[in-house]
Amino acid sequence: MKEIYFNADAGYLEGVVRGYRDGLITAPQYMNLTQCETMDDLKLQLATTDYAPFLQNEPSPISTSTLSARCTDALVAEFQYLQQNSAEPVSRFLEYITFGYMIDNVILLITGTLHERDTHDLLEKCHPLGFFDTMPALCVATNVQDLYNTVMVDSPLAGYFRECLSAEDLNELNIEIIRNTLYKAYLEDFYSYCQSCGEPTSSIMAELLKFESDRRTVNITINSFGTELSKDDRAKLYPRLGNMYPEAQIRLARADDMDQVKSILEQYGDYKRMILSANMNASSDSAGGSDMSLEDIFFANEVQLNKDAFEQQFHFGVFYSWLRLKEQEIRNIVWIAECISQQQKDKVNKYTPIY
Amino acid sequence: MPFTRGWGQTRSRPKTSIFRSEIMSLVQLYIPSDVARFTVSQLGEMGLLQFRDLNDDVSAFQRSFVNDVRRFDELERKLRYLRTQIERSDVDIYDFFNEEAVAASRGPRDIDDMEEKIGAHEDRVLRLTAAYKDLQLKHLELIENKHVLEEVSSLFVEISGRQQTAAAPASASGASGGGAHDSVPLLGRSDSLSRRSIGSLDAAYAGDAGGYDVEGGRMGGGHDINIGFITGVIRRDRVATLERVLWRSLRGNMFLNYVDIEEPISDPKHDEPVYKSAFIVFAHGESLRDRATKISEALGATLYHVDRNAERRQEELIETMSRLDDLQQILENNNAARINELTNVSEQLNTWFTIVRKEKAIYHTLNLLNYDANRNCLIAEGWCATNDIPAIQSALHLATEDAGSNVPTVLHELRTTKEPPTFVRTNRFTDGFQNIVDAYGVPKAGEVNPGLFTCITFPFLFALMFGDLGHGFLMTICAALLCIYEKKLAWLAKDESLRMFYTGRYIVLLMGIFSMYTGLLYNDIFSRAMSMFSSGWQWPSDQGGEGVTVEATKLGHTYPVGIDPAWHHAGNSLLFTNSYKMKMSIVLGIIHMTLGICLQVPNALYFKKRINIVHVFVPQIIFLFSIFGYLVFAILFKWCTDWYARDAAGELTHISPPSLLNMLIYMFLSPGSVGESERMFRGQAALQTVLLMLALACVPWMLLVKPLILRREHQKIISEGYGRISSHVRVSSEDDAPGGAIIVSEQEEMQEDDFDFADIMINQTIHTIEFCLNSISNTASYLRLWALSLAHAQLSEVLWTMTFLPTLKMSGALQPIAIFCGFAVWFVLTFSILIGMEGLSAFLHALRLHWVEFNNKFYDGTGTKFEPFAFKTILDEAEE
Repeated sequence: MKEIYFNADAGYLEGVVRGYRDGLITAPQYMNLTQCETMDDLKLQLATTDYAPFLQNEPSPISTSTLSARCTDALVAEFQYLQQNSAEPVSRFLEYITFGYMIDNVILLITGTLHERDTHDLLEKCHPLGFFDTMPALCVATNVQDLYNTVMVDSPLAGYFRECLSAEDLNELNIEIIRNTLYKAYLEDFYSYCQSCGEPTSSIMAELLKFESDRRTVNITINSFGTELSKDDRAKLYPRLGNMYPEAQIRLARADDMDQVKSILEQYGDYKRMILSANMNASSDSAGGSDMSLEDIFFANEVQLNKDAFEQQFHFGVFYSWLRLKEQEIRNIVWIAECISQQQKDKVNKYTPIY
Repeated sequence: MPFTRGWGQTRSRPKTSIFRSEIMSLVQLYIPSDVARFTVSQLGEMGLLQFRDLNDDVSAFQRSFVNDVRRFDELERKLRYLRTQIERSDVDIYDFFNEEAVAASRGPRDIDDMEEKIGAHEDRVLRLTAAYKDLQLKHLELIENKHVLEEVSSLFVEISGRQQTAAAPASASGASGGGAHDSVPLLGRSDSLSRRSIGSLDAAYAGDAGGYDVEGGRMGGGHDINIGFITGVIRRDRVATLERVLWRSLRGNMFLNYVDIEEPISDPKHDEPVYKSAFIVFAHGESLRDRATKISEALGATLYHVDRNAERRQEELIETMSRLDDLQQILENNNAARINELTNVSEQLNTWFTIVRKEKAIYHTLNLLNYDANRNCLIAEGWCATNDIPAIQSALHLATEDAGSNVPTVLHELRTTKEPPTFVRTNRFTDGFQNIVDAYGVPKAGEVNPGLFTCITFPFLFALMFGDLGHGFLMTICAALLCIYEKKLAWLAKDESLRMFYTGRYIVLLMGIFSMYTGLLYNDIFSRAMSMFSSGWQWPSDQGGEGVTVEATKLGHTYPVGIDPAWHHAGNSLLFTNSYKMKMSIVLGIIHMTLGICLQVPNALYFKKRINIVHVFVPQIIFLFSIFGYLVFAILFKWCTDWYARDAAGELTHISPPSLLNMLIYMFLSPGSVGESERMFRGQAALQTVLLMLALACVPWMLLVKPLILRREHQKIISEGYGRISSHVRVSSEDDAPGGAIIVSEQEEMQEDDFDFADIMINQTIHTIEFCLNSISNTASYLRLWALSLAHAQLSEVLWTMTFLPTLKMSGALQPIAIFCGFAVWFVLTFSILIGMEGLSAFLHALRLHWVEFNNKFYDGTGTKFEPFAFKTILDEAEE
């Protein structure tokens, strides 16, 4: 029955977002991009894509950071168009998507304040999708309690913050813990919201969010090696969902090195294939060096999942997927631009192709 | 097929008509590289040649002239920047257009000059704008400072004023407030302050504020508390957030007060003026004040220092005002300079834009050409109408002269088997109709172009559905106005929703005229009948009573034009018009389809496919005529016979009028016999049998003969040993071509596709079945002419009787007003519903009859449109 009414609320937006999807850069266009010799060539090539209106008024020697900023502007403009034209329940779903960016912004501001960076510089670096009213005030927070009471309490993230309150003062480790706890709470909440949306949104988003949560689990595990994070604390940071929840998570929580992670992941068909193609040595978590780092593999897999989401109709997953794909595309463009501007043409093909 | 000839020779020009597309030639140009730009520019002005991309495999940024393209891209960006600046400063862009500079070919030096000028202008505007922004920022600061000073003083005054009025009754509460905090030396008035501040007030800062008030009024000796305040300006929508965050982070140990600044402040950081508020925050202690400062700054507030002393505040205010005045002066001067500069630019802007766009288009085109380094020339290939070759030749000469070169550009035709693009020369009248055809499919080169017939059949079929003299007249007037003032109204073409009417104005004009004609035939004017001639019927003078059926008697003559007005009020008028219009639809439909089928003949002759005439056209036309042609004959026969004629004895000569529908059905069901009720003439049964046999014989003819013949021919070719030769044919320039045989055209593949009998057979089966079924369904489809016409007539009648007619029947003093209102309602509805919406629906149905019923009889529509390189189209596109 839901399908009958779907188009009344979200049909237009779905059409728009599928149109956006078709605007994504395709393989032959990537070919052309990678062949560019200078940034000007790149700009010329991008003039045939959806980024054209955002780039055409930039004076000609364009820098990578400007390029990245303009591309993000394009993404934001498109997302905001969706938001402005959305009604319940799509608008709620889109809001949920922005929470992730809010978490990133909050962490960025706290970290920046900790290192006594200029507030206005920090604010400029924040992702526009994750802006909320009281956010700039974060820069005065010096401890977690303060943070919550002053700023977070009436932000959309307030609910997620509850579990972080036990942490005392703000230091690097605690910020990292806060980030992961927030993200964990966010993922779990988003997941349960998606489940309440009914089929097929629930199953498609479940797939995507489970993958996201697995990726976070693995990343948390790998990143916690050699830090003072205790194994119990580590286990607390894992989102309570995903393909690896709960049994593999329990084992990951006890893992001590990469080999153990590897052997745990190998028990899952999908991840086993990923690991085989990844170069799982010590340097794999720092991108570069090997042929394809674990991070890249995860990205490639995510792209595939997001592309699959477009195979079905009448669900909200397309909005999420499109945003992820677009982000990946911007990462690709920036990567290619970096390679060109730094004369590292041999690495230029290490982007993650989408279509 | 065009042939290459020397250019001294005269050549017979192929005739141009809209019946077929132009004959096209593939031409090759050898352009010496120093005249290349002039040549392409000249060709762009003419708009006669469609360039082919000879560098298909080269990506955009590797082509020869990419740097020039980029240069003009950059220039265009600068111009865009200048234009936004001009628009923002409300300078009018002059419509002035330096025709001379735009039309004349520009030498490289002109371009360099222009580039320099634009660069200089951009530089200056950039600098002036930057300076202007700087000044504006300072100005903003001063203004905000002024507002803060003013508003904060007013706050102080307000607070102290309230304190004084509240002094007497509040002494008790003051005492208690003071008692709670012994650090507060003077009056604490929590109740007097709580009105505009947030939430619950601490007695402490009530007291603090009190301390200040006192300071403002009488210099307070002995105030020793460490109290401070910050003042600033913040966007109005942020005030609530600021208040909340401050309240939370200072745990309520603060007091915030704000005043909205009435007038919007133009902030150079935003495009639009924003509303702001001045605020003052009292906080206790150094660290809290620092925090408040930090928070307000983070939230985008600008802080200003305000002295606590009222007199010094006054001094500061005066100083600020005077500085503001000075700055205002500078700002105005600066702005005047900037406006001046922009005005200078605006005079040239349109010209420059045009030049830059043209130049960019030229280099884009040059990028399509092949560069021959040996000969230092560019080789272009492109399509043009064979008729236009002399014009292009003269353009080439002109370009060579412009460039001051004496090496001429050489043009010669290539022989090719490529499918040329389709170029139908239209004028402003035929253009609209050709658009209707092109929307369905662009004609193949050489194919019969239905556009020619559409010019008349389209408005005619429309009018059959829209037949009303009055409505047609209104439509004609509207369209005629559009046509007469078409130059003045050309701006309509720029508006997306009106463009349709403007470009289709001649279609609408014809539709209106034809509607008047059919309206005359239907004898309908705004659903009323006209009695222009004396009716052929007479009503009995004795009307009888209410509900009595009266019968009109027939007079000796027939009404000369159209339907007799006597039918209009007759009880059986619907029966009559329905039968008439239905039959008329069938007759006209069959004629229309026959025309479509017949158009296969010129196609077959043109493409030299005799087989299509003998084994496609002939059986089709026989099939159609033996069934539906016979129906048309029967209809006409029935119309021509007086079924109620009596012979000398006064007996009816005929039994009754035959039912044609039954006749047609029984022609199939019981061939060879005709029922009593369907009999029309002697020998009918035999004729029907013969026709049925003919129609049935046509089916296998259509189905089998053509494929079998094709197969026999193919086998003959194979048996003679010609099959399967390599199908690569090299197209080379002729031997006498200047400069020898440089082969630019790539090897072309002859479209000698493999002969596959099964394929052809299946196709033929589908075509045959489709034709037979379609001849029935399409005929039925033409009945929409009747249906729409009926709907239109009924609707307009309903409108008349429901809105206007009652007011005419009224009596009394109010009648004039009622007539006025009734007419207004009737006219508006007539115009919007009957002419607007009904017209649109009739238009769509006429469109369908052409696209489906007519076109599928003969029209392929698989061509590609000829899109010559023309500055006009490029500039028009850029405008949008």
